[in-house]
Amino acid sequence: MSDQRGRILLVEDTPTQAEITRALLDELGHAVRHAETGAHGLAMALEWLPDAILVDLQLPDFSGFELMRRLRAEGSEAACIVITANGSVNAAVEAMRQGAMDFIVKPYGKARLKVTLDNALEKRALKAELSAVKQRLNRGRFFGFVGSAPVMQAVYRTIEAVAPSRANVFVTGESGTGKELAADAIHKSSPRAKGPFVALNCAAIPRDLLESEIFGHVKGAFTGATDNRPGAARQAQGGTLFLDEIGEMPVEMQVKLLRFLQTGSFQPVGASRPERADVRIVSATNRDPLVEVEAGRFREDLYYRLYVVPIELPPLRERGEDVLMIARHFLAQFSREEGRHFRGFSREAEASIRGYSWPGNVRQLQNAMRNVVVLHEAETVEATMLPAMLLRADRRPPVPGRLPDQELATGLRAPPPGPSVPDYRPPEPPPAPIIEALAAVEKRAILAALEHTQQDVPRAAALLEVNPSTIYRKLAAWREG
Amino acid sequence: MVTALDPEIAGQLAEDLPPAVFRRIIATFETDLSRLTAELQACAVTANTDGYQRAAHSLAGAAAAVGAVRLASEARLAMDPLQPEAPATLLPRLSAESRLAIAELHSLAQA
Repeated sequence: MSDQRGRILLVEDTPTQAEITRALLDELGHAVRHAETGAHGLAMALEWLPDAILVDLQLPDFSGFELMRRLRAEGSEAACIVITANGSVNAAVEAMRQGAMDFIVKPYGKARLKVTLDNALEKRALKAELSAVKQRLNRGRFFGFVGSAPVMQAVYRTIEAVAPSRANVFVTGESGTGKELAADAIHKSSPRAKGPFVALNCAAIPRDLLESEIFGHVKGAFTGATDNRPGAARQAQGGTLFLDEIGEMPVEMQVKLLRFLQTGSFQPVGASRPERADVRIVSATNRDPLVEVEAGRFREDLYYRLYVVPIELPPLRERGEDVLMIARHFLAQFSREEGRHFRGFSREAEASIRGYSWPGNVRQLQNAMRNVVVLHEAETVEATMLPAMLLRADRRPPVPGRLPDQELATGLRAPPPGPSVPDYRPPEPPPAPIIEALAAVEKRAILAALEHTQQDVPRAAALLEVNPSTIYRKLAAWREG
Repeated sequence: MVTALDPEIAGQLAEDLPPAVFRRIIATFETDLSRLTAELQACAVTANTDGYQRAAHSLAGAAAAVGAVRLASEARLAMDPLQPEAPATLLPRLSAESRLAIAELHSLAQA
């Protein structure tokens, strides 16, 4: 049994009884307040927010049951305990039916009061904990993210788990899945939240300037270096440095980044002595980092330094109803920004949004919603207002991977390049296609790979050319499902 | 010999609470009794049945809380609309029980 101290409100109009109960509660170490009427008790409960309320049934203005009804209507979460002179079963049943957590028969001693209150406070704490857990498991918003799909809940939990540590995080996911949002969420939920968050897109900076962008330069280091300029590493001192598209970083620059990660020190371009910076690195790529390592485009030692905690962001097509939740979010946001009055989608529009594969993920959905809001004005988005690509028949789930800009813009997809064939074999007539749900095909492939490798997830992942975290995520989702 | 009090209730209170707190409770009970007895008498004179029963209910609660079981029984009789005894018969008995309960509580506090 617990031995909690709580804030207890006593609503009792008989002075002798109130005096006794107050004295007993004091002896038990609780903080106590006392109200003599229902109205006073209600006001005090809403202002003081007690953990438990001891409610006498017969009050001068209205009954204890009425007080409990009003408390519930006002959203009070205090545990109500009815105190009554009537110890019959009927009275107990009625008290519970009216929302009491327990009831106690007058007269009562210290021991009885203690047991009842301890139970009530423990039950209330468990209820609050359960509600917090449920809320965490079904979050529809998490920092900049919108979505409540189970795969996203797993992402939110990983971010929360890794945020307080100093571990480097590697975020992977297709273009437009929210890698920078993930990095931002890690930063904001970390002890470094008050420090700076500096984001750098390695693909957007010319190779020659990347070193200077990350580590800074001194005046005269190269043509055009007219001043000393701090780089992203210095700017992120005490905070988080987000290196997006790290797969695009030239190998020679990777060596310098590795040294920085190993020693915490770096040398600005043209400087004669090293500087130190305390930064946490979150990196991201839309490529498979292991494939990049195997192809020699990414240093293996740097990979292991950065890939401490991987977070894989799922593509939008794997997030179920999130697509509509996000579409509604953007519709409301852009309507406000553009002074439009859209309130929702027609059923046909919803079906089109749901049925499209969104190869450009959330960014593509965001652009589509902006397009609708800018080009139309109505209360309801009709299917005909949606960009043409959504209405075309091509709704095949695309192969995960990078998408050229043109494809993002049009939603059309080029056939993936096939593997090179070492020796020629005459083509066999194609078998009749078996149409199956993609999820079923995927599950069968994963289970087969696991069986083949005797449940060795990393090896199975290598055979399937996916990250091990993908398999863990799928297994968890199947277990939950 | 204690007769007006239930020794389990009153004795437990005396045991659970510091003596000063127990004495304060007896003082509150005395104040309660004076006020409620006066209310009962006033309601009996004016034939205010509702007020009479409310006061009797409060008195029964206060008495039961300190273990004054006989006083609580008398008060419950007064709050019962079907009881045959007139206030003129019941109130003097109730006052006598009140005095007895107070006296025994004081004895318990000094013990």
